[in-house]
Amino acid sequence: MEPELWITKLFNDHLAGLGNSLLGIVGAHADPRPWANFVVMQFVVVLFLMGVVALLRWRLSADRPGGFQQAFELIYEFVHGQAEDQIGHDGRRYMGYFGTIFLFILTCNLIGIVPCFESPTQNPSVTAGCALTTFIYYNLIGIQANGFKYAASFAGPVWWLAPMMVPIEIISHMARPLSLTIRLYANMFAGEKVTMAFLGLTLFPIPVIFMGLHVFVGAIQAYIFMVLTMVYVGGAVAHEH
Amino acid sequence: MTKKLLLVLAMMLLACSVLSAQTPGGYNAGAQWVPISAAFGMAIASGLCGLAQGKAVASAVEGMARNPGAAKAIQLAMLIGLAFIETLALYTLLIIFMKVS
Repeated sequence: MEPELWITKLFNDHLAGLGNSLLGIVGAHADPRPWANFVVMQFVVVLFLMGVVALLRWRLSADRPGGFQQAFELIYEFVHGQAEDQIGHDGRRYMGYFGTIFLFILTCNLIGIVPCFESPTQNPSVTAGCALTTFIYYNLIGIQANGFKYAASFAGPVWWLAPMMVPIEIISHMARPLSLTIRLYANMFAGEKVTMAFLGLTLFPIPVIFMGLHVFVGAIQAYIFMVLTMVYVGGAVAHEH
Repeated sequence: MTKKLLLVLAMMLLACSVLSAQTPGGYNAGAQWVPISAAFGMAIASGLCGLAQGKAVASAVEGMARNPGAAKAIQLAMLIGLAFIETLALYTLLIIFMKVS
């Protein structure tokens, strides 16, 4: 199996009781070393993001914005522009989720480059968690925006096509979290394995090119996850106006 | 040309029956084909992915040449399209990593 990172070793040595009680809440059996690499790395990513945003909050100023604030304004404008492209003027209400999922997946993908850390998105459980959260989120937003007539959108444009449209719509909705999971997982997993394979085959500078490609692909996949989330929310909200 | 192709195909089929006689009594008789089918599968997936990405980049570059003002938007759309096409080839690589032990 995967060797433990130094952080995971720290958690397993000192916090094993906490890990086992958390496992006990969901009914899983206890383990002598309950913390897995990807769980600890997700905590590291969340704490890092919370620290960065807390620092930003402390330094916010309307009169003299520093470089840090301007960088985050760029990120906000980018996400807002994409949301308006996909959803229209209502996109602003859902910015919290879009920004969170974008920054979380981007940081998860990039933290694998740092030595002694590992991308949690290399594990299918993490990407499945993000995809399921998106799935539940856009369905809840659809119900919130349209009431229970959201289910009527599955019937398609005309009523007499409904017996054919409903299974097709259900299958396509089920395929969405599956494709989100596998897209992100396969890109991150394959990127690391290809770099490792070339490291074993040839001189040292060659895998660096593949690692650069992996960074680029990680950023693009985070952006694609966010854009697909917006498209699904847009599709769920669209039938009212 | 077609006759030679048919001859080669018939010889490969005969070779199949000869090769499959090498593991008598093995319940895992398909395991010897895993590396070859993995290589062929990945080659087909990568080849088709290369063709599709070539088409995508060709139309993107032609669009940028016709309308240089829209170059940024076209470049963004091209990158998104390339990522989606790349992912399809990566699904095959994922199956290979899962099946080849």
